[in-house]
Amino acid sequence: MKRLIFVVLALSLCLTGCSSGLTILSNYRRIENIELVRTVTADISGEGVNVAVCGTAGEESVARMYEKTGSSLGVALGELILLPLGRDAILSHTENMLIGEDMARERLNECLDYIERFSEMRLDTGLLIVRDGTARDLLKGLTGEDTPAPDVIAGLARNISKTGEGYFFTCREIASSLADNGCALMQCVRAQEEEKLFEARGELNIVPAGFAVVREEGGVEFLSDQETLGTMLILQKYKSRNVDLSLPGGVVTVSVDSVETKVEPVFKKDGSLERMSVRLALEANVICLKGEADLEDKALREAAEMELSRIFREAAESAIRRSRELGLDYLDLESILERQAPLKAEETLRNWEQVFPILPVEVEAESTLQRTYDIVDPPQDAKEDQKPWEKMIRSLKGS
Amino acid sequence: MYRTKKDPPAPETGEDAPVTAAAMEAVFAGCYDFETRTLHIGGDTKNPVTLCFIDGLVSGSDVAEQVIKPLTDPERFGSIRGAEAVSMALGGSVYVYTAKHREKLGEAAGDLLNGFCALIFDAERAAVTFEVKSQQRRGVEAPKEEKVVKGAKDAFVETMKINSTLVRRKLRNPHLKIKEFTLGKRAETSVTLVYIDGFTNPQIVEEAAKRVGRIDVEGALTSAAIEENIVDNYRSPFPQVISTERSDKFCMNILEGRVGLLVDGLPLGFLVPGTFSQFMKVPEDHSGHFIVASALTLLRYISVALTLLAPAFYVAVAMYHQEMIPTRLLQSMIEAHASVPFSTAVEVILMLLAFELLQEAGIRLPSPIGETVSIIGALIVGQSAVEASVVSPVVVVVIALAGIAGYTMPNQDMGSALRLCRFLLVLAAIALGMFGVAMGCALLVYHLSSLESYGVPYMSPFAGSEGQHLSRALLRRSMTVKRDREPELGTGDGGEAKL
Repeated sequence: MKRLIFVVLALSLCLTGCSSGLTILSNYRRIENIELVRTVTADISGEGVNVAVCGTAGEESVARMYEKTGSSLGVALGELILLPLGRDAILSHTENMLIGEDMARERLNECLDYIERFSEMRLDTGLLIVRDGTARDLLKGLTGEDTPAPDVIAGLARNISKTGEGYFFTCREIASSLADNGCALMQCVRAQEEEKLFEARGELNIVPAGFAVVREEGGVEFLSDQETLGTMLILQKYKSRNVDLSLPGGVVTVSVDSVETKVEPVFKKDGSLERMSVRLALEANVICLKGEADLEDKALREAAEMELSRIFREAAESAIRRSRELGLDYLDLESILERQAPLKAEETLRNWEQVFPILPVEVEAESTLQRTYDIVDPPQDAKEDQKPWEKMIRSLKGS
Repeated sequence: MYRTKKDPPAPETGEDAPVTAAAMEAVFAGCYDFETRTLHIGGDTKNPVTLCFIDGLVSGSDVAEQVIKPLTDPERFGSIRGAEAVSMALGGSVYVYTAKHREKLGEAAGDLLNGFCALIFDAERAAVTFEVKSQQRRGVEAPKEEKVVKGAKDAFVETMKINSTLVRRKLRNPHLKIKEFTLGKRAETSVTLVYIDGFTNPQIVEEAAKRVGRIDVEGALTSAAIEENIVDNYRSPFPQVISTERSDKFCMNILEGRVGLLVDGLPLGFLVPGTFSQFMKVPEDHSGHFIVASALTLLRYISVALTLLAPAFYVAVAMYHQEMIPTRLLQSMIEAHASVPFSTAVEVILMLLAFELLQEAGIRLPSPIGETVSIIGALIVGQSAVEASVVSPVVVVVIALAGIAGYTMPNQDMGSALRLCRFLLVLAAIALGMFGVAMGCALLVYHLSSLESYGVPYMSPFAGSEGQHLSRALLRRSMTVKRDREPELGTGDGGEAKL
C-alpha cells in the first residue's frame, strides 16, 4: 500500500506544474512549433561567417528565411536556432548546405566538422559550392511565394544525374575522400537569372556549374564541363546525357543511356606496372535527327559511333590529365590499383605520390548505336552479337 | 428451541449418515425444487418406498416410464420387499442403465444433484439411485467466438459429457484417458483431465492433476477460477493456458502432447502448457495451403509488433525524435497538428481511451446495437474529432492501425494483454521517448522470457531452445512432410509426425 501511495504521489507530481507533463527528456519539442530547416547557406562575412536558413512550418506554409552572422558557423547557427515567432528550428532535415566560394576555399573544414559533430545534422547532407555570388543571395533569389528554395534544389538534385551534368556529393563522401585522398570532389552551382514564367517562383534559378576539387589543407580548383564529364565517367557516377553528333548530312542527337567503365592495371611481363587502362563501353539511342542523314546507312552509323566514342574518350582523357596536373588523385586510381592487384602493385603503391604524375593511362571507348527508331529498327545489318537474345543464349551456353 | 416430548428426534444429516427419507428431506429442506413421492412396490400399499429427485435436473418422463412404471408393476415386483427389492432394482428390473447402491447420505444427495433420482428404502437405511438426467441442454453448435472457415463446426457446450464425447469421437484411442475431479467446496463442479496415456509427458500430466487437485474455490463456475489456479504465474497478464471452444483445436493440441481440461458448465476446453507461439496459431492454419498459412502466421507476428509499438513509436518520434521522420511526412504532421490544442501525449492517450471505450461498448451491447456503436464511433466520431481539430488525422490513423492489428490475434486474452502493454509503452514513450520504448520492450521481453508453463519456456522456441525449431513457430510445413514434435513437451515417442 505504501508503495502504491508513493507511485500515485510521484505520478501526481506531473500534474503539479513541476514538470512539463510526463516528459522527462530535455529534447521534447511540440510538433506544431517546429520550423523545419531544409537548406543552410554559409558565406564568409568579414572575420566571421554569415549563415542563412530557409524554414517551413508545414507543407502549405510559406517558406521563411532567417540569417545570422557569428564568429564561426557553429556560433551563427546556434544563435539562428533561437528563431523569432517562438518556433523551434530543427536542423535534422537539412538536405543541402550551400557554401560560398570563399567559404569553401578558406573554411570548408568548419562546415564538414559541424555536420560531423552536431548530432542533429545528417551525414547525408549534400554540400554545394556556389560560384559567382554568395550562397545567401542564391537562397534568397530562389525562394518564391509558393516555391521554397529547398524544393528547387531538391529538384535539381533529382534531375542532375539524368542530364549527366553533375552529382551531389554528400558530407560523408566528401569527408571520406578528404581523409583517404587528401582531396574531394564537390558539385558547384550558380545562380541564373531567368524570366519568371509564373509568379510563385523566385527571381533566380539554380544551374549546375561543374565539379570543384577541394584540398584537405584548403583551396579549391574548378573543373571544366568536359573534365566534369570525364570525372563522372571514371567514377561511374554517370547516368544519362544527350549528345549532338555532327555527321555528313546533318546532326544526330543521341541519348547515351549506359556507360560501362572498366579501370584496371596492366602489368609488364616482369610484373611491374605498365599502365592503367580505362575502357568505356557506351550504348546510345537516336532521339533526334536534323538534316538528311540516312541512318540506314551502315557507314553513317559507324561514323556516329566513332564520333561518340571520341567525345567521351576525350572527356575521360581530359579528366585524367587535370587530375595529374593538380597532383590530386580524386579519380581514386590508387584505391582501384590497391583493390585489384594489392600484391603485384605493392611497390607502386608505396611510391604512389611519385608514380601518379607519370603513370601512363590509356583510354579506350567503344560505342554502340542501339536503336535508331527508324522504320527498320534495329537496322538489318546490325551486328549479330549485339542482339540481346543472342547474348543471352551465348551466356547460357557459356554457363 | 422448544421441543415437546412427542416430537420425533432430528435425523442425522452428516455425510456418512444412513440414507433415510427423513434425512434426505432434512438435507434438502427449503429447496423448492426437491420433490419426494411415496410409491408402493408392486402396488402393495404395505410396501412403501420413497422416491426423491430434484425437479428440472431429471427427466419426468424417464422417471415415470423407466422407474415408477416397472417398480409399481405387481407382476414384476409382486410381494417382494426389503433387501430383495433393493437387489432387484439394482439387478435390472428397473429400466435405467445406470443404478448405484448408496448407504451414505452424502453420496445419495450428490447423486440427486447430478441428475439421479433416488429410491429410499427406510427399513434398509439405504437407497438405489438411477441416472435419469434431463435432456434440457444446449445442443452442439458451430463456435461463436472462434470462427471456422474450413473445419469442424462442433463447438464445446456447457455439458461435460457432450464435450468428452466430442473428444472421444475425434480421438478414437483406448489410451485417451479422461480423469475426473470434483472442484468447489459448495458448487462441486466436475473437471476432467484429458491426455493420451503413454504419449503425453507424464510429468505434465502429474503436475496438471496436482494443480487441479489443489484448486480451492467455492465453485469453478468461470474460466478464471480454473486458469488462475493452474498457471505458473497468475500475476502475468499474458495467457498461459490455451482456452478454446473448438473441439478440433482441443484434439489437435492433445495430439501434439498437451494435457486438456474440460469443465462441466463451461463451453471451453483448456490446454496446458501454453506457449506464446501457440497463441499465434489458429486451426485454419491446418486447413488452408501451407504457404498461405505460413504467410498469415508471419502476418500475425507483424501485427503483434504493430499493435504494441505503433502508438508508442509515434509518440516517441513526434515528441522527441523528429529527425527520424521523413521530411514530407513531418511537414504533413506539423500542418495537421497546427490547429490541435492538445499535446501529442494527451492526444494519443485520449484516442487510445476512446478506442477502448468504443470496443467495450461494442462488446457489451446486444450485437446489432454494438455494431452500430462501433460504426458510429469509428466513422462519425473519428471524422468529427478530426474536423473539429480535437485530434490530428495522423493520430487517428496510428491508433486505428494498432487497434486493427490487435484484432488479428487469434486469442482474445493475448489481445487484451497486448493492449495493456501498449498503454504502458505509450507512457514510457511519453516520459523517455525512444529510450523509454526500448526500455519497455526490454522489460516486456524479460518478463515473457522468464515465464514458464509446466516446465516449458513460455517463449519457446524463440527462447530456451537456442533458436532451434524457429521455423515450427513461424511457418507451417506441408502435411506431406514429417516434422519434429515440440521437444519441450517431451512426448512419449519424441520423434516426428505430420502435424
